[in-house]
Amino acid sequence: MKIKTSLNYRFDFNIFIPYLILVIFSLLAIYSSTINQTGPVAYNFYKQFVFAIISIVVLYYTYKQSEGFFESISFPLYLFSLFLLVVVLIVGKTINNSKSWLSFGFINFQPSELAKIATILYLSKFLSSKTISLDNIKDLFISILIGIVPVILILLENDTGTSFVFIVFIVFILFMKGFNPLLLIIIASPFLIIFASMFGIIPVILFLIIILVALILLKPNIIISTYIFLFNVISSFFFNYIFNILSAHQKKRVEVFLNPEADPKGAGYNIIQVKVAIGSGGLFGKGFMNGNQTQLRFVPEQWTDFIYSVIGEEWGFIGASVVVLCFALILVKISKLFLTAHSEFSRLVSVGIFGFLFFHFFVNIGMCVGLFPVIGIPLPFVSYGGSALLFNSIALGIILSFYKHRVSI
Amino acid sequence: MNTNEKFDIPIEIKSALLKYIVIIISIVFIIQLFYLQILNNEYFNTKSTQNSIKGIPIQPIRGAFLDRNLNVLVENINTFTVKIIPAYFDTSKAKYVEDALNLERGTILRYLRTTQSYSPYIPIRIKKDAPFKNIAWIEENKEFFKGLTYSVELQRHYPEVSGSHMFGYLKEISKKQLEEKKHIYSMGDLIGYCGIEKTYEDYIRGEKGYQYIVVDSKQREIGRYNDGKNDKKPQKGFDLVLGIDKDVQKVAEEKFKGLRGAIVAIEPQTGEIIAFVSSPEYDLSRFSAFTDKAYWDSLLNDPNVPLFNRATMSINPPGSTFKILAAIAALEEGLIDENTTISCPGSFVYGNRSFKCHGAHGNVNVIHAIEHSCNVFFYKLIFKIGLDKWAEYSRKFGFGSKTNVDITEEVKGLVPDSKYYDKRYGKNGWTQGFIVSLGIGQGELSVTPIQLALYTALIANNGVSYQPHIVKGYLKPGTKEIIPFKFPKIETHISQRTFDIVKQGMFLVVNGSGTATSIRMPDIPIAGKTGTAQNPHGKDHAYFIGYAPADNPKLAIACFVENAGFGATWAAPIVKEVVHAYFNKNKIKQTSKDSTNTPKRKQ
Repeated sequence: MKIKTSLNYRFDFNIFIPYLILVIFSLLAIYSSTINQTGPVAYNFYKQFVFAIISIVVLYYTYKQSEGFFESISFPLYLFSLFLLVVVLIVGKTINNSKSWLSFGFINFQPSELAKIATILYLSKFLSSKTISLDNIKDLFISILIGIVPVILILLENDTGTSFVFIVFIVFILFMKGFNPLLLIIIASPFLIIFASMFGIIPVILFLIIILVALILLKPNIIISTYIFLFNVISSFFFNYIFNILSAHQKKRVEVFLNPEADPKGAGYNIIQVKVAIGSGGLFGKGFMNGNQTQLRFVPEQWTDFIYSVIGEEWGFIGASVVVLCFALILVKISKLFLTAHSEFSRLVSVGIFGFLFFHFFVNIGMCVGLFPVIGIPLPFVSYGGSALLFNSIALGIILSFYKHRVSI
Repeated sequence: MNTNEKFDIPIEIKSALLKYIVIIISIVFIIQLFYLQILNNEYFNTKSTQNSIKGIPIQPIRGAFLDRNLNVLVENINTFTVKIIPAYFDTSKAKYVEDALNLERGTILRYLRTTQSYSPYIPIRIKKDAPFKNIAWIEENKEFFKGLTYSVELQRHYPEVSGSHMFGYLKEISKKQLEEKKHIYSMGDLIGYCGIEKTYEDYIRGEKGYQYIVVDSKQREIGRYNDGKNDKKPQKGFDLVLGIDKDVQKVAEEKFKGLRGAIVAIEPQTGEIIAFVSSPEYDLSRFSAFTDKAYWDSLLNDPNVPLFNRATMSINPPGSTFKILAAIAALEEGLIDENTTISCPGSFVYGNRSFKCHGAHGNVNVIHAIEHSCNVFFYKLIFKIGLDKWAEYSRKFGFGSKTNVDITEEVKGLVPDSKYYDKRYGKNGWTQGFIVSLGIGQGELSVTPIQLALYTALIANNGVSYQPHIVKGYLKPGTKEIIPFKFPKIETHISQRTFDIVKQGMFLVVNGSGTATSIRMPDIPIAGKTGTAQNPHGKDHAYFIGYAPADNPKLAIACFVENAGFGATWAAPIVKEVVHAYFNKNKIKQTSKDSTNTPKRKQ
């Protein structure tokens, strides 16, 4: 099975081919949703096309680099990205309420994309040093500080979605490093179960089962387990209690969040139209350039966060499922690297990249198919956005480079 | 990996945990996609189609009304409606448009405000029935006034006769009606509101057509859907053929100018209504245009209540015209025959009251009692008949219940009987004295003109006629073939002999020395009966019922003139003119047309 000389041994096509498929779907969907528009939007396809070519080339050069290279640039890159995040706060351009863009005339660039890679690299480098232990309060504090500084800067840009992404991959890295997951569960689970309880009793029960499984796996002592579990059960009643003391106006907002159909012309409009676009696609879709929801612009800014609905409408169940499978394949392949990674540094970087790709995938597609509330984050490799595609491609290039240097088990 | 000592989760488990989370979530997504795209595809497809394909309704042409000789009574004409598309219209230019179209300043802004909740791409009407010079002005200034547009709409037109109360008018459909008939109508559609426009709505409405266009999310038109292959042409409504004769109707309307009252002329053999007037009339053509508030208010405030349909809704005692009924009841019950005489000394005393007659008629039989309208004869006769018998005969002729003529605005009047008096005054609270005046058609008896017309038709045709109706049938599209509507037959089951006797009396009213000799015509003998009904609120109501020709009636008429005076003076001459108009015209056509125009019915 392992023929050391084969190309596949050195270059993981199981990651690269799904990546290419996603980029092609992206270009088709951007073409379909913007080419007949008027104004600067009509150039989106050409811009993205150029970026796709550049991204593939950059991915290849990243793949060519050694692990030592990534380690060596991690600190300067981190500092540089923090600098840019500060710059953007001063001279940044506001698009969709977020002052997160640096404008270079024709091209807009989001420093947070660079910061994502830089933070993963530097945090991993810090944690992989032999002398560091998360049991040491000072080390724990420094590692959290490395992660939290960019998060605060991004929150100041009013880009909540992206700061969520940072928190998720930081937690993933800490988890892999050995940060007590029990502590995480104790802190996070009551909030998560309140969130789950908004969607009814079944999510709550599922969530309680997950907690139970996690507790069994983590084997803390029985008193702590009982305490955590009971606390979660109590929390699950919290939402109904809070909801009942809310004013009518506040209730309405929560209801729209839970059920967009309650306000079809306002807050619920986008998500309803997205669902209609996807649902009307059928098995094979309406065909390229033939989706009437897309062509008639029923979904606003469809080439960005809602681009999955273009694919769902025009390429149907087949196309939409292929996108899900591409992501699944890429993520599963990355998770294999956790075991085969050559070093602690590459393992932690892989987990960080896995974390943010997974979160984007989970939240964006979950939102489009109506399983998740609307949170404005794009779908990696697919949503329109040159700098995002470039840095996501670099991230995959890093993964492919690690794959090349993996150890066999 | 000294850091993992305390919470020793092997890296394999961490890795596997993350891998399986990805796999489970992917499976959940694909199941959800299957649910949305395969299982609910039809639902979302419909939603998506509704989103982007708009059916623009094309109103059908409403059926016309034709008279019995297929002359047009009500038709459609094209009128211009000026509209504004709010999204394109610059409101700062509103005043120029208002000046050019003779609209009050501020009208446009008012309309825009009231329709704010609609899409700004849906045109709103600002002026209906616009003259051509407005349209020319719009065309000339198109470039300057963006969003100002116009369309051609159909409107009812009445070229020959007024006929307001029988034709009725259209109104915008109400919310309640819309709920019930959602599949046919949509908001803003017009629907028959009264008269035959209402009764025959389903026949004359036609079927809406649709033009399908593709619109984007802002309702802007992108193009035709499927090159118009799915478009549906509107279907014209059926043209109704009425029993009305336009010339007779015209004369009847003219004769009623300045008077209040009603006249209904029926063909006794068929129940077809040849003329139908309630006066004063109102101008239907002003109803079919923009809601003319000033005109509407003037109608509502008019003391003559022109909107009130007197032919079917005014209830009054019919006066002496009802003596025929008492005579029929007495003859049919064998209480009298044509030779039985009753003495008339000029008045009739009952209890401590004296009931007057107009002159002392001496010993009169039933024929002369009708001829001279002797009150005493009938005062005494009703005692012989008895209240309930009399009421029973009244009902046989359709009094006390709706005639079910084909317009829905109708009341049933009142035929009092002992049950009614018991209820009203208590079991012992009334005496036989109450019924004296019923003998001469006064008192608590109340009837509508249409009931009197049916009564006259039944007498004329010896107890057999049909439910009175304005509409005979409808034209088979594209032909002159009339498809008749069916109406129930009405029979009184009264002997021919009885009818012969009363009809002798009615003949003498006009052609003997009776009360209406002034309307005698040598060539067309009319038989009839005058009536003058006392009225506590003002001058007497004048009545005349009659039929012609007396020997072979083709026309039965009831005429009612409100607060006019003597029946012979006011009502009878109108009947004469109507009869004259009918026969003058049909003398020429009688031989050639009569047979083809009368629908074949079994009698």
